Amino acid sequence: MTTITLRNLRKEFDDVVAVNGLDLTVRDGEFLVVVGPSGCGKSTTLRLLAGLETATDGEIRMDDRDVTHTEPKDRNVAMVFQNYALYPHMTGRRNITFGMNATDSFADEEIDRRVAEAAETLDITDLLDRKPQAMSGGERQRVALGRAIVRDPDAFLMDEPLSNLDAKLRIQMRAELTRLHAELGTTTVYVTHDQTEAMTLGERVVVMDDGRIQQVDPPQALYDFPTNRFVAEFIGDPAMNMIDVAVEDGVAVHDGFRIPLPSGKTVDGTDGEWLDGTEAEALADPDAGDRPTAVLGIRPEDLYPARDRPDLGETTFDATVEVTEPLGDSLLVHCSVGDATFKMGAEPRSSLEPGGTVSVTYDPARLHLFAPETGEAFYHSATAPAPAGRIDATTND
Amino acid sequence: MSTREIFDGRLQAALLLVPTVLVSVVFLYYPTARAFRTSFFKAGFGRAEEFVGLENYATLLTNSSYHSSVALSVLFAALVVAGVIVVSLYVTFLIHEVDSGQDWYLISVIWPYALPPAVAALVFLFVLHPTLGVLTGPIEAVGIDLDWFNDGPQAFVVVVLAAIWKQIGYNVIFMIAAMNNVPNALTETAEIDGVGRFRRLVSVYVPIMTPTLFFLVIINTIYAFFGTFAFVDLLTSGGPSNATNILIFDLYREAFSYFNFGVASTKSVVLFLVVAVLMVIQFRLTEEYSYYGA
Repeated sequence: MTTITLRNLRKEFDDVVAVNGLDLTVRDGEFLVVVGPSGCGKSTTLRLLAGLETATDGEIRMDDRDVTHTEPKDRNVAMVFQNYALYPHMTGRRNITFGMNATDSFADEEIDRRVAEAAETLDITDLLDRKPQAMSGGERQRVALGRAIVRDPDAFLMDEPLSNLDAKLRIQMRAELTRLHAELGTTTVYVTHDQTEAMTLGERVVVMDDGRIQQVDPPQALYDFPTNRFVAEFIGDPAMNMIDVAVEDGVAVHDGFRIPLPSGKTVDGTDGEWLDGTEAEALADPDAGDRPTAVLGIRPEDLYPARDRPDLGETTFDATVEVTEPLGDSLLVHCSVGDATFKMGAEPRSSLEPGGTVSVTYDPARLHLFAPETGEAFYHSATAPAPAGRIDATTND
Repeated sequence: MSTREIFDGRLQAALLLVPTVLVSVVFLYYPTARAFRTSFFKAGFGRAEEFVGLENYATLLTNSSYHSSVALSVLFAALVVAGVIVVSLYVTFLIHEVDSGQDWYLISVIWPYALPPAVAALVFLFVLHPTLGVLTGPIEAVGIDLDWFNDGPQAFVVVVLAAIWKQIGYNVIFMIAAMNNVPNALTETAEIDGVGRFRRLVSVYVPIMTPTLFFLVIINTIYAFFGTFAFVDLLTSGGPSNATNILIFDLYREAFSYFNFGVASTKSVVLFLVVAVLMVIQFRLTEEYSYYGA
């Protein structure tokens, strides 16, 4: 049971800044997922936590201990790697016990008991006498997890542990990781580039880009209230549509449409205050001149062919269908309106043909505005606060 | 797609093979066959060969000084192979673990390998010469009376050391490649789990490196039996009183000092058999313990 605190953590490799001033608290018993594109510094952050890299600057604390310069072995953390990192010449059992045997801090009976317990938990009892090459990817990762949990560490550090598994197994292991965490309650930091994994696993998710934290929130809050364009486009698949607009009199104006902005929520410093569309206009770039004053963000799944959702109101606009992509459970429609293009989710068997015209409507509670220059979000039309995370304690500081 | 046709026809392929086959036959297979044949003859300069059947072999079987040369060679090879492997492994591990200047350490370790054996032997002679050697003073300062021109066991040790020293570079090249091939995550897992360095080397790296180590044991064995001639010749000439008279040097003397080509051929056949038997044993043993990765 451990709280991990990072203060102004920084890591440079020669002239590359991998991690640029991270401030983050991983709460006791929390499952925290760090997500971001390749090279965003997420793995480096995890390696700093493990002690495999030395911080250039800043501080890492585990509870009251400053571990910034502590050797990996003295941090009492366990790491699970993408490629499993099982010793190939050892059986499953030896792999699990090797680290414990090496430190002499466990009695043999204690080790046996813990291995049996972990094997039971992970259902790997029949793998204990096999070598890794006789195991499947999923089995190897289970053994690797077993090795991590037998030591009863203060924290689990997981570096893309599911990336090498096939899609079906990944989904299965995802559920198992959630179950395992519920059972053990050990503080876990989990790094992935897969936003679906981040959303499904994390009690809170840290989105990183370019060595910096972009946002830390429970998954639904990330999705509903992204703090900037990067988060908005990174979380959610397909990515959020971004269309340059002007904001005039509480209306997002584009050549092809006018979308009124209902009263919503600002994230710009005045957290928790609500503003209407007109006030949003004031927050838009006042010096924009002829340039668009804002970027309107709408997720493809919040756009509909008007005939499918008559309940959403009168405001519709016409767009041209460019391409359709059947996804089975839905039809992804690439559309253009004026100089803008966007994607829209439609009913799977909709009769939308490329070249045709479609009347488009949208969910007015799912609009976002971003500043064109900085990409910061300054307006969300959602009228309800983000639902609390899976565990209340993690969202109420 | 069908297999790629590299050659226009069999004739072209055969022509391209001719140089290799020719060189192998003229300089390898023919001399081997000839030596095998000569081992059944009494032969020397200026006299006709005389068929003696197995007499040469019988001579060797009853010759006690030859027996001791065989024993000496096996002991020599065992020490050289073990010494080379252990020292090279240790040096490789040090280079692997060091944070900066890896290339320089590597170059300085490999350098002796770049010397011809004769030059290497001369270098060693200057280093350990009983009166003039660079290291002689320091060694005598710790109470060892360096006198290997006269002291048999000392001479044996000196030749063993020289042979080990020369072969380290070659081994380190292969070992560093194998050690660098061990996935980083294994090292990191071991570090996080608190596995000590020595334990990491012995329990993690060495097992994964076994195919390479196996190869090196074979190569080093061949080296110890066949490639160490120059050290014996230049450092001790087989002496003092045959203390360093290993098989390869013994058969050289038989042939080119005593001009007993028949017996020398017999000795080379025996040497070939000894090494062949050792190879088979090593293959059997190491195959069993080698880990070939998934």
